[in-house]
Amino acid sequence: MTDGTPAIAVRDLRKVYGDKAAVDGLTLAVPRGCFFGFLGPNGAGKTTTIRMLIGLAPPTSGAIEILGLPMPERGLEIKRHIGVVPDESVLFDRLTGGEFLEFAGRMYGLDRRVAVERARELLNLFELDAGSRKLIVEYSKGMRKRLAMAAALIHRPQVFLLDEPFEGVDAVGARMMKDLLTDQVRQGATVFLTSHVLEVVERLCDSVAIIHQGRLVMEGSMAALREGSETLEDAFVRLVGAERMQDKLDWL
Amino acid sequence: MGRAVSGGSGARVLAGILWIVWYGLWAFLGVAAGIYAGMASKDELEFILPAILMGTCLFWQLAPILTTDAGASLNVRKILVYPISDGELFVVELLLRLTTALEVLLVLGGTLIGLLLNPAVPHWLPVPAISIFIAFNLFLSTGLRSLLERLMAIRHVREVVVLLTVACAALPQLLAVSGRAHALRRLLSFRQSGLLPWAAAARLAIGDAVALPVLGLCAFTAAAYVFGRLQFRRSLRFDSTAARSAGSTGSGRWTERFYRWPAALFSDPLAALFEKELRTLARAPRFRIVFLMGFSFGAIIWWPLMHGGGHSGPGGVSYPVVVSGYAMLLLSEVAFWNQFGFDRSAAQLYFSAPVPFSLVVRAKNLAGVTFVALEIALILTLCTALRVRMTLSNVFEAVLVTLTLALFFLSVGNLSSIYQPRPLNPEHSWGRSSAGRFQVYMLLLFPVMVGPIALAYVAAWFWQSRALWYGILGADALVGAACYCFATAAAVAAAGKRKEEFLSALGQSGGPFTVE
Repeated sequence: MTDGTPAIAVRDLRKVYGDKAAVDGLTLAVPRGCFFGFLGPNGAGKTTTIRMLIGLAPPTSGAIEILGLPMPERGLEIKRHIGVVPDESVLFDRLTGGEFLEFAGRMYGLDRRVAVERARELLNLFELDAGSRKLIVEYSKGMRKRLAMAAALIHRPQVFLLDEPFEGVDAVGARMMKDLLTDQVRQGATVFLTSHVLEVVERLCDSVAIIHQGRLVMEGSMAALREGSETLEDAFVRLVGAERMQDKLDWL
Repeated sequence: MGRAVSGGSGARVLAGILWIVWYGLWAFLGVAAGIYAGMASKDELEFILPAILMGTCLFWQLAPILTTDAGASLNVRKILVYPISDGELFVVELLLRLTTALEVLLVLGGTLIGLLLNPAVPHWLPVPAISIFIAFNLFLSTGLRSLLERLMAIRHVREVVVLLTVACAALPQLLAVSGRAHALRRLLSFRQSGLLPWAAAARLAIGDAVALPVLGLCAFTAAAYVFGRLQFRRSLRFDSTAARSAGSTGSGRWTERFYRWPAALFSDPLAALFEKELRTLARAPRFRIVFLMGFSFGAIIWWPLMHGGGHSGPGGVSYPVVVSGYAMLLLSEVAFWNQFGFDRSAAQLYFSAPVPFSLVVRAKNLAGVTFVALEIALILTLCTALRVRMTLSNVFEAVLVTLTLALFFLSVGNLSSIYQPRPLNPEHSWGRSSAGRFQVYMLLLFPVMVGPIALAYVAAWFWQSRALWYGILGADALVGAACYCFATAAAVAAAGKRKEEFLSALGQSGGPFTVE
């Protein structure tokens, strides 16, 4: 884990399902301490990319390095340093929020007492009611997202891989999550974020990349974008949505 | 039987053969019933026809519950958004209820043909009698399914419901065994239970009387219709989430101690994974039901066969062994064959966490064995309470045989959990989720898994040597342990290679129709 290497480096990454390339020759470098927005329309390949970064889907070809370590060869070591919020809230429904956080902490090598203590603090912070014996199966979508975010934080990871982390979360919760992430970035962590809410990306991220039909169509800093005449939304629509705007149904 | 088969053509052929064998057997029973009904005298029919009809009624109503296979049904929540009337949905549900009764229809069809050919029976009566009886069963099964589905959604109530259902199912057996067979005979008796649906249908079919049986049968059918329609409508409006949340909580102090015990023996992350498994399984209604049925229903159904529970020689199988084996079989789908079923899409957490997958499998196996051990303990306690004649040797036998069998179950289960993963809804208190192909594999593998244990009994019986039994069982345990090591390593390697297929299979959600 040499300093100076990018937090995430992806070279010519391809993922093919049947005869369709979900990700097609993606090359990216996300510097350490960066708040990175990874954008694209539905089905563009964002989730597939994150799944490859986590090690859930092996790439068809190409190379992935996280914190200077190759994935999947050093997968276990990498996973100790990343925090993940997947697109769907994949949680063990038959645990309480506290039990789940404790479980997550212990999976990441925390001592049980430390995990229990951090779990309690995170539950309070995310307003998930630390004393509650409610099972996760009864949580609302927003509560599940908040719990997933709390689980991603419990072991203080160096890299966050977040797939639509604010989806379904109320304004107060989303604001708190954004503040937490910004604070983590200030402390040197790296955030790799996908979101459909362009305003959020525009406000939080230092750099953005846009992927369309599996290919990278834009990469740059938010500062450079702000200097130009286009907003992020304009750029996004121009790059990925222009042809869709022309489609109209006669009967509708 | 007869579910859609996923997989290759070989598996389809095998499933087809099994389908033919299963329904062939029922068709044979139907033909036999038909031949008997065609040749029997009116006096013989007076006794046997109510018994046939009562048997079919019990099978139709109770088999889906006792085999934990409710057949196809409407997944109401997914279809309610469409502009379809309750009445139309009810008709679809009625038609789907037939899927749980094809076996019964074969027997009833055969009986009907036999009655039509019997010169002692008026030709015009069997058709309306059997038709009304089928309608009665159809309405009743729809109502029962809807009612039970709602009751099963409520914590603690579902356990009581299962016990009551088990008691109902075991009633004839208990009456027969407890020397109160006259009560059973009364239930079957043509004269004494004349207005009960099976007796009324039988009386009508053979023309013993017309007005009163018609009245009785129609009244029961009308009541069943009202019951079925009402229960179905209530199910449409039922808020299962609210019912669940009324009782869903974490654990109390004592159960918390039970969940925490792995930490005393193992270090993290194995202990954390093991604890999580114990909590998940113990809180899944579906698991709780099969666990409860393992020692309650198992103890009842094997009671007459193993009455007294003692050995009949060195090769005899003791009652606790049979009940323990049966209980393990009931637990097997969740605890062995499809270990990731309840995790569903959350199984991806195992791959995103810095934990070797072998530890995940080991934790699941340890949890499975823990519940099997608990089940054995409960069965032995029950045997003691029922004053089953038991020696210390019987206790050892139950423990040794079940744990040895568990090694074989785990070996196959670890592989099947990776190669044939299927999402399971822990809220669905009954239901089968195995793919047809998987069922075929299990049917073929089951004799292989049980074979080594059976060999110990056969050898001990043949040579009348208990020492031989211990020797062969010891060898079985060694073979089982070797199989377990090999199968687990293969399963872990396969999980690494098949990660995407595995997670994709577990992440699938059902459509408007469900065969769970």
